[in-house]
Amino acid sequence: MRRLPVYLLIDTSGSMRGEAIASVNVGLNALISCLRKDPQATESACISIITFDKEVNNVVPLTEIADIQLPEITTPESGPTHLGKALQLFCQKIDEEVVLSTKERKGDWMPILFIMTDGKPSDILLYREMIVEVKKRKLAAIIGCAAGLDAKPEYLKELTDNVISLDTTDSATFSQYFKWVSDVVGIGGRSMGATDTLTLPPPPSELHSII
Amino acid sequence: MDIIKYNGNLEIAATDEMQLIKSFDKNNAEIKNDIISKWGVFENRNKSFVENKNIYIANGKVNQEYCFSFKIDELGLSDIGEYYFEGLDTFGLSFDSVTNEIKGIPVTAGEHKIKLVIKINDWGHGKLLLEKELTLLINPDPKSLWKNIPTPNDIEYFKPDSNQSFVKVESVQKSFFGENKFTKQILIAASQRGRSHAQEGRPRDDDFGLYYLKEHDWYIMTVADGAGSAKSSRKGSEIACRTVVEVCTSKINERISEFERHIKEFHSDKTDANRKCIRDSLWEILGNAVFLSVKKIEEEARGADRPIKDYSTTLIVSISKKFKFGWFVGAFWVGDGGIGIYDKNNQFVKVLGESDGGEYAGQTRFVTMAEITQPPELYRRLRFEIVDDFTALILMTDGITDPKFETDANLLKVDKWSELWNDLSKEVNFSYNNEDSAEQLLNWLDFWAPGNHDDRTIAILY
Repeated sequence: MRRLPVYLLIDTSGSMRGEAIASVNVGLNALISCLRKDPQATESACISIITFDKEVNNVVPLTEIADIQLPEITTPESGPTHLGKALQLFCQKIDEEVVLSTKERKGDWMPILFIMTDGKPSDILLYREMIVEVKKRKLAAIIGCAAGLDAKPEYLKELTDNVISLDTTDSATFSQYFKWVSDVVGIGGRSMGATDTLTLPPPPSELHSII
Repeated sequence: MDIIKYNGNLEIAATDEMQLIKSFDKNNAEIKNDIISKWGVFENRNKSFVENKNIYIANGKVNQEYCFSFKIDELGLSDIGEYYFEGLDTFGLSFDSVTNEIKGIPVTAGEHKIKLVIKINDWGHGKLLLEKELTLLINPDPKSLWKNIPTPNDIEYFKPDSNQSFVKVESVQKSFFGENKFTKQILIAASQRGRSHAQEGRPRDDDFGLYYLKEHDWYIMTVADGAGSAKSSRKGSEIACRTVVEVCTSKINERISEFERHIKEFHSDKTDANRKCIRDSLWEILGNAVFLSVKKIEEEARGADRPIKDYSTTLIVSISKKFKFGWFVGAFWVGDGGIGIYDKNNQFVKVLGESDGGEYAGQTRFVTMAEITQPPELYRRLRFEIVDDFTALILMTDGITDPKFETDANLLKVDKWSELWNDLSKEVNFSYNNEDSAEQLLNWLDFWAPGNHDDRTIAILY
């Protein structure tokens, strides 16, 4: 089966504690149950979730939608935002997990990467090193999400042209965001030119695209 | 109900903590301490069990055999006696206490609440229970989730969700001995919108073209697959198929005597020079057809003020004719899908070109890409073959080759073509007298293959 690998990198630094992380958990659950009802997604999409604070953790390894059981995502009391380290783990995972086509084997669909943060990378040197590494890998789309007023979208802009900004980190806003994520996953897995990337569906009006 | 029974020197029964304390007052301190410590251990165990244990039970799928081996030891509890699950029977599962398996065939999808109940050993006649509510998720059958939303007919570049074509051919040739020799052939094609498009009410992007050039007894067939990621690709595939048929017809008419002479000369003397003559003729016919298709698409894109990329489409074309010495088939192919000459009797297949794939699924090349119409690239993609006879000449888009062949290597295997032909023959009656074969072919296109729900188009000459 050709899989559509979807990687979600989620900020669990100290600032996410409280309503924000609770909203992310609600949003993720809504995302998964939405994808379960999408026959195209249930037959192709696989989800991997990597959280990052001081530590990075692959809390959900690349799993088919039908088999996913979401853990409760938690945050430490406080701590830095090691997004660079998270991208490092992402690169390692994608190299290990994603299947490329050969004459004898059908490859996966081109992976999609979502990154959500409410701040800026604390490990900025590693982050910039990893931007180079991520760009070496072919992805259908990289989507950055700068959540809340303290988020610094300019750092995400260094990695991708697709950056969405959320004014608040409440559950209404996150549910809009994750609904849109499911729309993006829905259009992954279509034929495209060998050098193309995905044309994203327009985000709902509550989410702003950063130009 | 008793919440606790102590069977030490004295028998004490209590239904709540207050009652227990009253009993303690009446009895000696030793028993009191004993009970309190046991109660404490029990409560702590109960508490930590409920709060901290993340109990994993695998998800299931509706109407599919489910079996999950539950390992109670992994919970790390001591003194476990009998245990069971409540609520499984409401959706078709049961717990086998001998094998410790939850099994059965789930009948309803959803997030089912079930309860794990554990009795602790040596604790009051087995009345003390640990309970934990769990969720057992049963996924719906993907088949039941597909919707078939008709394409709105007021959209730009509307195209019907399916299409089919049937051409019956009977040509007469004078044989060597002056007798009439009849060639009986059928040309059919069918195209069906994929489930992934039907789900969203989006149009079919595939297209095809069939033509029998009666004057010279040539067969023209083409299939095209508009890119899923390009928004006007359905028009691109339509223009390509229509133009290919028009241009091949006029170019064959124009060059018929020279073209057929080259074929006959090559057949009697297979030199490189003669081979090149055929390829040059194909360049004039197929090359022009492809080139002009792209020009027409460019015109359309310009008129609509859009990039040509929006009209991206793959393209497979064949022109063929039966000569006295056998069949000539010329072909051009860009993109994925496939074209092959299949001979069932001799277990032979000749694939006329190579599939254009990338590192990932779905990546391919389109006729509308600038590099494809560069002369050396276009020339490279021209193929021809002369065979004694065949069962069928088949052109397909990737909606069929992906599920039926899976890999590029399999597309070259005659076994895979035989499987396809056997599968087709179950639903399509390929006899000359059957005039419903295109309809049957269209029905066949509805076959089920998980994860493969793209538009499907096939054209067959038999």
